[in-house]
Amino acid sequence: MTGPALIEVDGVRRRFQTASGPVHALDDVSLSVGDGEFCTIIGPSGCGKSTLLGMIGGLVMPDAGRILIAGKPVTGPDPRAVATVFQDPGLFPWRTVVENIAFGLELQGVDRRARRQAATALLGPLGLRDFAGKYPRELSGGMRQRVAIGRALAIESPIVLMDEPFGALDEQTRLLMGEWLLDIWRRTRTTVVFVTHSLHEALALSTRVIVMTARPGRIKSVLPLPQPHPRSMESPELVALRAKLWGEIREESLRAMDGMGGPEMAPHSPPSQAPRRRRGAARRDAP
Amino acid sequence: MTALIRAAVIVAGLAAWEVAARVGSPLLYVPPSAALPALRDLLLLRSYPDVLEHLWLTIGEILAAYGLAVAAGLGVGGALGLYRTLGRVYGPILAALYAVPAVVWYPSLMLFFGLDAASKVAFGFLLGFFPITLAVLAGIRQVNPQLVTVARAFGAGPLTVFAKVLVPGMLFTLVGGLRTGLALSVVGVIVGEILGSKAGMGALINHAYGLLRTADYVALVVVTLVVIVAADVGASLLERRARRWTG
Repeated sequence: MTGPALIEVDGVRRRFQTASGPVHALDDVSLSVGDGEFCTIIGPSGCGKSTLLGMIGGLVMPDAGRILIAGKPVTGPDPRAVATVFQDPGLFPWRTVVENIAFGLELQGVDRRARRQAATALLGPLGLRDFAGKYPRELSGGMRQRVAIGRALAIESPIVLMDEPFGALDEQTRLLMGEWLLDIWRRTRTTVVFVTHSLHEALALSTRVIVMTARPGRIKSVLPLPQPHPRSMESPELVALRAKLWGEIREESLRAMDGMGGPEMAPHSPPSQAPRRRRGAARRDAP
Repeated sequence: MTALIRAAVIVAGLAAWEVAARVGSPLLYVPPSAALPALRDLLLLRSYPDVLEHLWLTIGEILAAYGLAVAAGLGVGGALGLYRTLGRVYGPILAALYAVPAVVWYPSLMLFFGLDAASKVAFGFLLGFFPITLAVLAGIRQVNPQLVTVARAFGAGPLTVFAKVLVPGMLFTLVGGLRTGLALSVVGVIVGEILGSKAGMGALINHAYGLLRTADYVALVVVTLVVIVAADVGASLLERRARRWTG
C-alpha cells in the first residue's frame, strides 16, 4: 500500500510572533509520507498541525529544516504537486459551483470549455450533479465542502492536503462525508495528508495516524493502520486502537489546555506556576 | 397622469422663475424667456461658434483625469491593501489628505502645470484619486482573507489575486468609489477651468459671467450640466450591472 516517500519533512521548526511574544509552533518535526497513503495528523488545538500542512503546501516557510516533495524542496505553493482543502471552504461567492471547481484549472490556463468539462465531470462523484449553476450561498455546509474538495481534485495534483475539512460540519454530515471521501480516495489513490480533531475520522480513514504533542508541536507517536477499508469501528481491534489513540491524545490535550490557562483537569499539573498568557493570543493555531 | 402633474410642476416652476426674475433684475436673475433663446443660440453655434471645441476639450480633460485617477487609485489602493504595513503607514495619511478641501492645491497645480489643460487634468485627477483609492483600500479589507489564501494555494501570484479575488470580492465598494471618483473628477476639471483657463466649458462660463452675459452664462451651465448628468447616468448603469453581476 505504501510506495516510496513522496513527502519528506526533515527537522522542521517554526515560531510565530504574536502580541504576547513568540509562540513556538513546531519543533524539530520529521516525517515522510509515501505515495498513495492516507496519512492523518491528529493532536491538541494549537499544536501546529495546520502550520505543518501550510508548510507542505508552500504557504508557510519553515524557520529551519526543509520539506521535499518528490525529492524537490518546497519553495512556495505549487498546484502541480499539491492541492489544499481548508476547514473554511473558501468558495468564491461570485462563482457558480462549476466555476469554483474549475478555479485551479483556470489559473493553470486551461481553456474555458476544457475546464468546464473537467469540472462538470466531477459533479457526479461529488454528489452535486444538480447544482452546477448554483452559487455557494445556495448550498449546505457539506455541499460547500464537497465543492472545495472538487476544486482540489480538479487539478489532479498527486497530493491533496486537507486541514480539518469537516471540522465545521455536524456529526451526521461529518460521518457521511468521511465515507464519501474514503470512496473517492480509494478510486483516485491520491496521496492525502489529513488534519483532524476527530478520533473517528483518523481511525476510519487513515493508513497511518501521526499524533502530535502540545505546543511546541513535535511528533509523539505514529500508529500504522493496515486494516482494510471500510472498517468497522466496533471490531475489537479498532476499539483497542481507539483506546490507545485516545490515551495519547488525551494526555497532550490536557497539557495544551493547561498551557492555555484553561481548566486544570490533569491531576499532576502544578497550580498555575507559569504566568498565564493572554488567552486570545495564545490560542491562535496558525496565522 | 403622473406625466401631466410633472409637466404642470415644471411649467409652474418656470413661471415662478420668470416672475421672480422680472420683479428683480432680469440681468442678474435671468428669466426663462431670456435663457431659452440663449440656449438655442448656443446650440445653433451663434453665441459661441466654437462651443463644441471647448466642450470636447472639457470632455477630453475629464476622461484623462478620470482615467489617471482610476489607474492610480487601483494601483495605490491595491498596493496599500495588499501590503498591510504599507497600508497601516500610508492609509491614515491618505484619509487625512482627503479631508483637506482640494481647492487649496489648485494654485500650486497651476504653477506646476500652467494655464492649459494639464492643470485641469491634474486637478480632476487629484479629486478623483482619493475616493477611488480609499474605496479600493476599504474594499480589500472587506474581502475574506481565506479567499486570498485559497487563491495563493492554487498558485495565484499578487496580480492574479488582485484580478480574480480582490476585484470581484470588493466590486460593491469599488464601484461606489469609482462613481464618486468620476463625479469629483468632473468637478475638478470644471472648477479648474472656471478658476483660471483659456479654453474649455469653464472658461466660456467664466467669460460669459465676466461680461455679464448672464443668459449665455445660464445656457453654458445647462450644457455643462447635461454632460455631468450623462456621465453620472453612465456610471450608475455600470454600477447596477456590477451589482447584478455580484448578486
